[in-house]
Amino acid sequence: MGEYRSSDDDYDYDYDYYDDDDEVDFVDDDENAAELEAAVEPEIPPNSCPSSKVITKESLLAAQMEDLIRVMDLLSLKEQHARTLLIHYRWDVEKVLAVLVEYGKERLFAKAGLTIVETDDVSSSQVSSSYCCNICFDDVSLEEITTMDCGHYFCNSCWTEHFIVKINEGQSRRITCMEHKCNAICDESKIRCLVRARNSDLADKFDRFMLESYIEDNKRVKWCPSVPHCGNAIRIEVDELREVECACGLQFCFRCSYEAHSPCSCYMWDLWSKKCQDESETVNYIAVHTKHCPKCQKLVEKNGGCNLVSCICGQPFCWLCGAATGSDHTWTSIAGHSCGRYKEDREKETESAKRSLERYIHYYSRYEAHRDSSKLESKMKETMQDNIKILEECSTASSKDFVWLFNGVDRLFRSRRVLAYSYPFAYYMFDGDLFADEMTKGEREMKQNLFEDQQQQFEANIEKLSSFLDEKFHLYNEDEIKDLKLRVIALSATTDNLCRNLYECIETDLLGSLKHSVHKIAPYNTNGIEKASLPSYQDT
Amino acid sequence: MQASRARLFKEYKEVQREKSADPDIQLVCDDSNIFKWTALIKGPSETPYEGGVFQLAFAVPEQYPLQPPQVRFLTKIFHPNVHFKTGEICLDILKNAWSPAWTLQSVCRAIIALMAHPEPDSPLNCDSGNLLRSGDIRGFQSMARMYTRLAAMPKKG
Repeated sequence: MGEYRSSDDDYDYDYDYYDDDDEVDFVDDDENAAELEAAVEPEIPPNSCPSSKVITKESLLAAQMEDLIRVMDLLSLKEQHARTLLIHYRWDVEKVLAVLVEYGKERLFAKAGLTIVETDDVSSSQVSSSYCCNICFDDVSLEEITTMDCGHYFCNSCWTEHFIVKINEGQSRRITCMEHKCNAICDESKIRCLVRARNSDLADKFDRFMLESYIEDNKRVKWCPSVPHCGNAIRIEVDELREVECACGLQFCFRCSYEAHSPCSCYMWDLWSKKCQDESETVNYIAVHTKHCPKCQKLVEKNGGCNLVSCICGQPFCWLCGAATGSDHTWTSIAGHSCGRYKEDREKETESAKRSLERYIHYYSRYEAHRDSSKLESKMKETMQDNIKILEECSTASSKDFVWLFNGVDRLFRSRRVLAYSYPFAYYMFDGDLFADEMTKGEREMKQNLFEDQQQQFEANIEKLSSFLDEKFHLYNEDEIKDLKLRVIALSATTDNLCRNLYECIETDLLGSLKHSVHKIAPYNTNGIEKASLPSYQDT
Repeated sequence: MQASRARLFKEYKEVQREKSADPDIQLVCDDSNIFKWTALIKGPSETPYEGGVFQLAFAVPEQYPLQPPQVRFLTKIFHPNVHFKTGEICLDILKNAWSPAWTLQSVCRAIIALMAHPEPDSPLNCDSGNLLRSGDIRGFQSMARMYTRLAAMPKKG
């Protein structure tokens, strides 16, 4: 048994995360089995707070206000100013503090396009009764003029038109002043007020955009990618790569919003899933015409112009290599950026095409096989329930005594999932192209052998576990059941251990030793993917 | 009346009033459509475009001035930021740096400034850009001058 865990004396485990209905205080006369069980299920630290939360439609406002109030208190700002600031800094309060400490208040505000200078209204600086709006060139009276925080004033109808255009362009959260080269963000209350007077539907839309900014512009919050959408978003409390399960039951990778795919890195999974899809026209189009923004990860389509592209979030990046850049550039270079765009244009040898296809099929068929058996095994639980019922009828056993069986099935599912995704991982890890600069052929072969040894061992144990769980235990007598129980529990523990080792091998020996590129994977969690907790507070 | 129409009408009046103010720009509105304008601009002095007269076509969108007008050269011009075939211009103020405070007149001025100072960041004409990139100023200038002679100057004789 692994030494990573010791069996504990007071184990009143929470079996909450299991699908079976009752919570069980596991008390067994068979000490051996109980101890084994204790080893299978690790202790949940009593004071661990959930690291991910579900944000529902109702709790969105409350969640947002929490961060807003922190910044408002800290910098004694008005709500709309705090929001402008937080939108710019992607709702990262720590980042706001860091910039504040390093650069001071003025720079902090200036970077976010926030101007809180108490500018004199037009009324005090000019005394005439009418003013010329520099947009429509109309002379208008004082009441028809709005001055923004930056001091620029235009007539209300021009402002309104400007806001409507910007809202319809999806730029609600970054509406800047109309003056040339003025980057000040317009006061949201003035926008709301002017737009509502003209078009209340659009004002509602604007409000919704502002509210959803908390999700869209927040690196710690993501929409659940469920289709049809469940309406939830997930907030993670720790700033690291992980996989989460939404309240709707969907498990996804928090970084790339695709299905949970560890131990594949996001990049590998992206390559793999695109490869596996039928190469439909849409996919081709997306691959050819779009790139992910390096800041907000949205897909960006180039609609003309030069190779310096700006995302809707304002991040400029190089269209050739997709890396974030500054906006200063000359003919020969983008300031501070050199991209090795010729690297990928190496000509592919036709000879290797066949070999690479065979290689792909090898990995793909194994990947599919494990996904398929995982589908078949999901029926296993139903069969088990039926079998347990048969046992219950003819003996004193109750379903409570079979918790170990369901634990075994859960272990099987989790391990099977990891095994399936370990194939695309291996496909890319030991592919000569992706890590060509990272390791020599000899190193690669050595590492591949190491990995495949572990993978095979893991696989063998999974198959064995699967066969144990498939046994017709409803025909067994009490001793045989006890024997099966011991076998299942022991094997579950071994499998868990092997899975952990596989992750460790991937994280430290394979990905950890890369020098030039960073591939990270969500850490292994013996209890499976964490379920995000539902909000405890209600929106009032 | 639409805001864009009103504004264009104001600009039209302004142009009529200041006709002689800027001798380098001659901005004319289409007789039947206020959303279509043409301009004749003089090539700036001390550039290979000197002595040439270039025609620009403006297509003004309905959301003007909140969205920029589409401008292109009708006269062939050899310039890194102008598409050689279509006359499309790559200029930041006509794209993301547009502000409603610009007018058609000031756009013309910006284009004249662009002719004098090619901005190598948005190459629409690669041949022209390559000449500048490789430092062959003379080659660039003679090409640009040749096309100015061919396309932007009245034929002699």
